Amino acid sequence: MSLRFDVIGAGIATTGLPDWQALEAALDGHGLTEDRETPPSALLSPRERRRAPRAAKISFAAAEQACAMAGLAPSEPIAVFSSGMGDLDITDYMCRTLKDHPELLSPTRFHNSVHNAASGYWSIGAGATGDVTAISGWRDSATAGLLEALARLTDSDKPVLLVVYDDLAQGPMRDLWPTEHAFSGALVLTRPGADRPLARLAATTSSEPEDHGALPAALINRIPDNPAARLLPLLAMIARRGPAVTLASEQGPGLRISPVTT
Amino acid sequence: MTPLSITDMTLTCAAGTGLDAIRRALAEGNSGLRANDFPHCELKTWIGRVDGVEDTELHGDLAEFDCRNNRLALLGLQQDDFIARVEALKARVPADRIACVIGTSTAGIGVTEEAYRDMGEDEVFLNRHRLPRVHTPHTSAAFAARVLGLNGPVLTISTACSSSAKVFASAARLIEAGLADAAVVGGVDSLCLSVLYGFHSLDLVSDQPCRPFDRARKGLSLGEAAGFAILENKAAGGYGQLLGWGESSDAHHMASPHPEGAGAAAAMREALARAQLPAHAIGYINCHGTATPLNDEVEARAIAQVFDQPPPAASTKGWTGHTLGAAGIAESVFSLLALSDDFLPAGLNLDDPEDEWAGFILRQSRQQRVDAVLSNSFGFGGSNCSLIFGRVAS
Repeated sequence: MSLRFDVIGAGIATTGLPDWQALEAALDGHGLTEDRETPPSALLSPRERRRAPRAAKISFAAAEQACAMAGLAPSEPIAVFSSGMGDLDITDYMCRTLKDHPELLSPTRFHNSVHNAASGYWSIGAGATGDVTAISGWRDSATAGLLEALARLTDSDKPVLLVVYDDLAQGPMRDLWPTEHAFSGALVLTRPGADRPLARLAATTSSEPEDHGALPAALINRIPDNPAARLLPLLAMIARRGPAVTLASEQGPGLRISPVTT
Repeated sequence: MTPLSITDMTLTCAAGTGLDAIRRALAEGNSGLRANDFPHCELKTWIGRVDGVEDTELHGDLAEFDCRNNRLALLGLQQDDFIARVEALKARVPADRIACVIGTSTAGIGVTEEAYRDMGEDEVFLNRHRLPRVHTPHTSAAFAARVLGLNGPVLTISTACSSSAKVFASAARLIEAGLADAAVVGGVDSLCLSVLYGFHSLDLVSDQPCRPFDRARKGLSLGEAAGFAILENKAAGGYGQLLGWGESSDAHHMASPHPEGAGAAAAMREALARAQLPAHAIGYINCHGTATPLNDEVEARAIAQVFDQPPPAASTKGWTGHTLGAAGIAESVFSLLALSDDFLPAGLNLDDPEDEWAGFILRQSRQQRVDAVLSNSFGFGGSNCSLIFGRVAS
């Protein structure tokens, strides 16, 4: 069984790779960029930017690029936000406050602690009234996100925005989630037949180990740092029309994603 | 959409452990709520705490999942022969073609809270709290798939209080896309300090047992639950069929519903459209009905926008408390029981109904055969999901 789909937009935001151009430069062997950062979200008003949790800021950085590249208003696509750990900054705040002064818990930080805070702020910022969902697959959240997004293409003819992101942990959780760099990657997927897509791809379920084509060392080194960065080889493959990549999964099927040549 | 059959299901909540106990509680009008006795919580409120969670132990290769949420999940899976029913399913459908889609909002955060409370000044978790598979939202789906030996797609949906309604939509899509042939869906949420103090900080918790749709309602009662269902595309029979779903976003506020209920109404309309049913085909609505002053009014007004003459409707949260990420599955089970038992429960603690805008809210539980039931679940982030279940054709 093979699910065909087109990619019409993509984005990336992490230390040294603030946007798609930086990824392309890194793929050309120019290394990571240290003189630029991802600009702040255009979707959030200055007031919302102050209230929004880190999960929103991290995920929007890639999601806004992907929508812009696709030529879509952020309100248009169905959106799937996939994250292994959600907002680790707020987890740290919540647990410290509940330990010392539970009566002083901030209502804003509490409602921002839900796993769908990023997708909720996205819906509010974009004015997206269609479905916006939040899922998790722990360290396999890239694969989980792709499975959910691909299944949506069979159900609806709307484009689907997939955002895979994870932050670094604060405080004692760093031992259990030893990530150094926040990462977010985003794709806008459509059914096959898009006009001049970035890539025409096909996905099949797979039980093979994770695998991808050759990549510069600067990129290879980033993949094991953050499970969300396991999306990086797929982003690189889309940017450079590279060979197939395999995303594995500890439980359930992985996905092998191949270019379609017609 | 092609209807999917719910061939088996189970629910454990404050109203009862397993379906028989829940049916009795529904028939007798016995609430599962009790005065707050949750450890380390001083709040004056009522909670839907499940008995026996602490005594459910996780041994062997399940020990790395040890937390209240997964203990509650195991207690739930042990009811109604559910594990044996999944084994029987695996004889019909290969395990790698059975998806496992579980909704949760709390996941294992109770253990993260405990780990912070018990760590020393070195800020290092004690060994018993160093459980990487527990401190992630994905813990419940990973745990259920491990217990049941499922190897199709394993997904966690975590959209606050709509989480385990959306599992039905997600699983149905995986089946439609050919990524699975059947699914175990479910939801598990457990009481913890984050939600008790968190909802308290928002002034949304009542100091009395919750009274959905009553004029004197003062807020919600928090609860916990674990529920599971088997979805199959080829089987007939069982408790009912999933006929449609609708998912929408308010795009309004993180913690307050859209004032006119626009997102809620959109979800109900989409569910009807997908089920290809006119509004009058719905015989009963299991409302989200959290019993906060605003939520119940907005939901009733949204229902009145979609239904010219709304069918009897009620919230079952007086039995269970608001079980958050498990509310969707809990109320799906209540909806399927309404279909299969011909019994429509009214809400508890409804003494003074708001006839001006909620005259259709059921006052008295009654025996009545209906062919289709709508279940609403709405959550933080403006996340809305409506499900329609239909009677099995006889």
